[in-house]
Amino acid sequence: MTIIEEPAVHQHTGAGVTVAVIGTGAIGQDLVSKVHRSPALRCGLVVGRNPDSAGLAHARALGYRTSAAGIDAVLAEPRPFDVLFDATSAAAHREHWRLLAHTPTLLVDLTPAKTGQMVVPTITGTHAPTDRDVSMISCGGQAATPVAHALAGAFTVDYLEVVSTVASTIAGRATRLNLDEYVATTQHALTTFTGVADTKAILNISPAVPPATFRSAVHAVIADADPTRVRAVVDAAAERMRGFAPGYRITACAVTADRVVVSIEVTADSDVLPHYAGNLDIINSAAVLVAEQHAARLAAHRSKP
Amino acid sequence: MTEIVIHDPTLRDGQHAVRHQLGVTALRGYAEAADAAGIPVVEVGHGNGLGASSLQVGRAAVSDDLMLSTVREALRHSRMGVFLLPGWGTSADLRKAVAHGADVIRVGVHCTEPSLAERHLGFLAEEGADGHCVLMMSHMATPTQLAEHAATAVGYGARAVGIMDSAGHFLPRDVTARIGAIHAAVDVPVIFHGHNNLGMAVANSVAAAEAGATVIDGCARGFGAGAGNTQLEVLVPVLERTGFGTGIDLYALLDAAEFAERELMPAPPTTGTVSIVSGLAGVFSGFKHQVLDAATRADVDPRDVFFELGRRQAIAGQEDLIVDVIADMTAERATG
Repeated sequence: MTIIEEPAVHQHTGAGVTVAVIGTGAIGQDLVSKVHRSPALRCGLVVGRNPDSAGLAHARALGYRTSAAGIDAVLAEPRPFDVLFDATSAAAHREHWRLLAHTPTLLVDLTPAKTGQMVVPTITGTHAPTDRDVSMISCGGQAATPVAHALAGAFTVDYLEVVSTVASTIAGRATRLNLDEYVATTQHALTTFTGVADTKAILNISPAVPPATFRSAVHAVIADADPTRVRAVVDAAAERMRGFAPGYRITACAVTADRVVVSIEVTADSDVLPHYAGNLDIINSAAVLVAEQHAARLAAHRSKP
Repeated sequence: MTEIVIHDPTLRDGQHAVRHQLGVTALRGYAEAADAAGIPVVEVGHGNGLGASSLQVGRAAVSDDLMLSTVREALRHSRMGVFLLPGWGTSADLRKAVAHGADVIRVGVHCTEPSLAERHLGFLAEEGADGHCVLMMSHMATPTQLAEHAATAVGYGARAVGIMDSAGHFLPRDVTARIGAIHAAVDVPVIFHGHNNLGMAVANSVAAAEAGATVIDGCARGFGAGAGNTQLEVLVPVLERTGFGTGIDLYALLDAAEFAERELMPAPPTTGTVSIVSGLAGVFSGFKHQVLDAATRADVDPRDVFFELGRRQAIAGQEDLIVDVIADMTAERATG
């Protein structure tokens, strides 16, 4: 029995590095859509576990090969993929990395498993990561760490806290079961990228109707916070973010004595996501950027005689 | 006579009223007094529960470890309760609380989101701990929805389940419908936790008991956010007169409440302007201090802030919205 379902009409996108997407929730679907739009990436396979899932139907409709056999479908491919986007769960990612560590595939991890090298594009730069397991941290981590990093670069920060709010309609089961990992991984990223030892991450799931736009509030304790300087530092960080996440904006920036609060909202720019799902858009945009950087490196390498 | 288990979160929910600043002496003193009165469960912690000390809500004066060890030592008969909001505290906090000897562990979720408790209720069931689930801000869901979500929580392993009227929005008939629906849907004890924004907390608690709730929350002097919670030393004799037993010693209970008024709070909660408005707007009472502080600084009407937060359907824990609401109101004033 074949585990791969071939599409009626193949999507021909020519050259580019080959990628696979595992996980067919909202993150997986948006990734397929973003890869579809990327000239540097060619989607070779979309993998889920339920043959009737909306995510696999979406991939088939775009003309991609699909499988409901989970990671086995990836392992059964005759040639390893250049990139595997992992949009499953933290526990599943740890297993996927164990199975693929010996292959040349770059794993781009969208779960909060925290096993790989952490990437935040505006902080870690435009070069491809050196590890083959890359952690995209969390949606709150991608949204808030750039502002936290900018504040820590300009001021002495004694304490950092990030409170993010995600609409209930787009918080899938894996997200709900991985709240502990979300908290631990986001705090770890905050400390790693700012040098502030005392950090805290909180996640709220909002059931508001219509759904609430994704937001992150960055709280910081800064002894010498000058409101004008704070605003300038924060605005510059936001401008850099809009380089790849156009829906990124600062909605409030308040300084009271030694306490700074910066509110960030992110809207989605996506074929498949509702506008309020900026959390998924920002982590996926960053993940695709990583894959494109890897593609550029591979292309340079492969063009050498 | 139906027995009601009185659950006393004075040392947890009361923290909201004093910006989470209860010290060790106050914690120990009240726990001893509550224990002497025969209160079955004494809950302790930061106002938003384990691991929730934060700028978002307020940083606690005392660490979780010290709060739990202090109260544990003070309780000889009463069981010790703790509270956890998934996304705020984690399984590591639960593990710590169990190690400290917490007997009753409540996992709180917004009333429409029971699946946020699946992981933690499952963990507690595996540990053999007494894990309960409370659906917060329960005025934001219908009786049918609440019954369905309560049954889901029981499926995850909750040994008791119920609702919190976190905004103090309910009238007795609302409580009757909701508790009745939950009671019919589950075969575990049903919990009710009232707030007093509209002066209804005791009446709502009696309605809950009459509709089948057997775990009722009350705080000494109503110590809690905004207008406060159900006043414990009123609730207990009123339940007894209604025909429910609590096993609590009245004089010792009154003494515990005297201690609480003297040692825990600058003044007992009152149903002031902001608390009435937050109850009407359906916004968590715990937003009071932050709304008042920020509204005063920006010179906007805190009542408008509460109604706007209600319009945005802010849930408990979303204090970060206050800054945005005030920024928008200030910008509107500048352009209007």
